[in-house]
Amino acid sequence: MLLPAHAYVRPGSLDDCLIALREAGDAGQIVAGGTDVIFNMRLKLFRPETVISVRKLRELQDIEPLPDGGVRIGAACRLHDLTEHPLLNGRWPAFTDAIRQLASRHVRNMGTLGGNICLKTRCWYTNNSAQWRAGRAGCFKTDGQLCHVIKSSDKCHAINNADTPVILIALGATLTIRKVGAERQLPIVDLYHDDGLHNLALDVDELVTHVTIPPVDDRTVYVKQAARKGIDFAIGSVAARCNGAGEWAGKVTLVLGSVSTAPIVLKEPAAIIESSGLTDEAIERACDAVRDELGEVTNLYSRAGYKKQVARVLVRRALQRLREM
Amino acid sequence: MAREIITLTVNGDTREILVSDRQTLLDVIRDQLSLTGTKRGCTTGACGVCTVNNAQGEAVLSCLTPALEWDGESIVTIEGLEQNGELDAIQTAFIEYGAVQCGFCTPGVIMSAKAVINAHPEPTEEQINAGMAGVLCRCTGHIKVKDALRNDHLIRARSET
Ligand SMILES: Cc1cc2nc3c(=O)[nH]c(=O)nc-3n(C[C@H](O)[C@H](O)[C@H](O)COP(=O)(O)OP(=O)(O)OC[C@H]3O[C@@H](n4cnc5c(N)ncnc54)[C@H](O)[C@@H]3O)c2cc1C
Ligand code: SF4
Repeated sequence: MLLPAHAYVRPGSLDDCLIALREAGDAGQIVAGGTDVIFNMRLKLFRPETVISVRKLRELQDIEPLPDGGVRIGAACRLHDLTEHPLLNGRWPAFTDAIRQLASRHVRNMGTLGGNICLKTRCWYTNNSAQWRAGRAGCFKTDGQLCHVIKSSDKCHAINNADTPVILIALGATLTIRKVGAERQLPIVDLYHDDGLHNLALDVDELVTHVTIPPVDDRTVYVKQAARKGIDFAIGSVAARCNGAGEWAGKVTLVLGSVSTAPIVLKEPAAIIESSGLTDEAIERACDAVRDELGEVTNLYSRAGYKKQVARVLVRRALQRLREM
Repeated sequence: MAREIITLTVNGDTREILVSDRQTLLDVIRDQLSLTGTKRGCTTGACGVCTVNNAQGEAVLSCLTPALEWDGESIVTIEGLEQNGELDAIQTAFIEYGAVQCGFCTPGVIMSAKAVINAHPEPTEEQINAGMAGVLCRCTGHIKVKDALRNDHLIRARSET
């Protein structure tokens, strides 16, 4: 089956790419590794007029150590290359560990960091072919007026199912975003909106060019639950971070992914550990507090009830792992 | 629909090919070059039977990548493993260890296995699992495939002496 008709543009430089993006406007579609864009074009979910390839842009390939001990990573770096990078493995092991848990080696050989950060949301309805979907009414994402996943809702509840945003939020990463004539820095946590349809705070003419991770000495960990570890999207995932040693823990950050339209920064569970430390009793209380912060959970790959339980278990595992570090 | 000529090196032969923006690398390999060893399976990245090797000898999914993206690049398909009428050691290993049943996934499985061997001539259990997780077999299963991969180096040594 051929892909839907479109024009394919391969700009030779970042500046040309930004111009192409501006010209294409709403009908444009950035493609990097293509592992999600081509998938969605096959499902006729993405129907761009112009596809603009950023995979080979020279300006987006570098991994540059910064004087302050941080690192600046080009958005078109391949996921596999990041997992092999000595500096990243040495200083941000939870980051490369998260990438190793993402999809399969085949997909990591093609997919890029920028593509993962800017992954569009997904749900069980839109994960099916156009022919399958034609048997049901269209939804908010497919020019309809309802959501199949949460029927009473007036918005799209598709899930942000990406792995790297979860750990990058915990690490306090910042994105460099460019368009013609302008550049801005955005803390990655602010990229994600709680709306499945417009889940990214990016304009159509904007491109993520780099990701900056600050130096992090804290204990950090990424845990993920998936049906098959070697290839599947997460049912849930947790990134956890704190300073201190053993049960003593300060500055706790807990981020939960793949249960909602955006990654969730868990507040009360983190506050509980900050005030009581990583004791068994405090960890249980933190797990109890997870449910209140979940909002509406979408049932992708498993029932919503199971996902809520997974969220709780992953928080426990992550906190126990921090204690052992 | 726009058409463009790309230069692609396939199994050592450099060719100029007229491709459209609607084609993936898989479409070009099968329908234009008639190299039908590479299979069309799910076409969404989940099964891995379309796997070919890139210039670095890594496994990539030809169904998920636009053909135009491969201008100037080089790939190896299952047809490229045999050299001068001799099967590659990994192919011999698959035969010796019975790692083939119906055969539909075999080209993708072998190209994934080849990528493991390219990176790790004597792979560990972990390296085998990581390299093979992206490709599925529904009849032989994965045990014999792993046996073949574990013993590829013995077969290579045998053919070298
Ligand atoms: C079998 C399979 C399993 C998968 N499993 C996982 C998984 O476990 N976890 C996971 O997170 N993902 C998974 N994925 C999804 C996907 O492969 C990855 O998220 C991958 O990192 C996407 O990167 P890409 O470069 O291929 O993105 P593309 O498909 O090229 O792009 C993805 C999106 O990002 C946008 N984009 C890309 N680059 C930029 C940029 N620089 N600036 C702005 N926007 C940009 C594109 O417009 C598009 O909307 C899986 C995919 C497959 C096929
Ligand atoms: S979650 Fe979004 S994409 Fe899925 S059915 Fe509801 S509106 Fe459509």
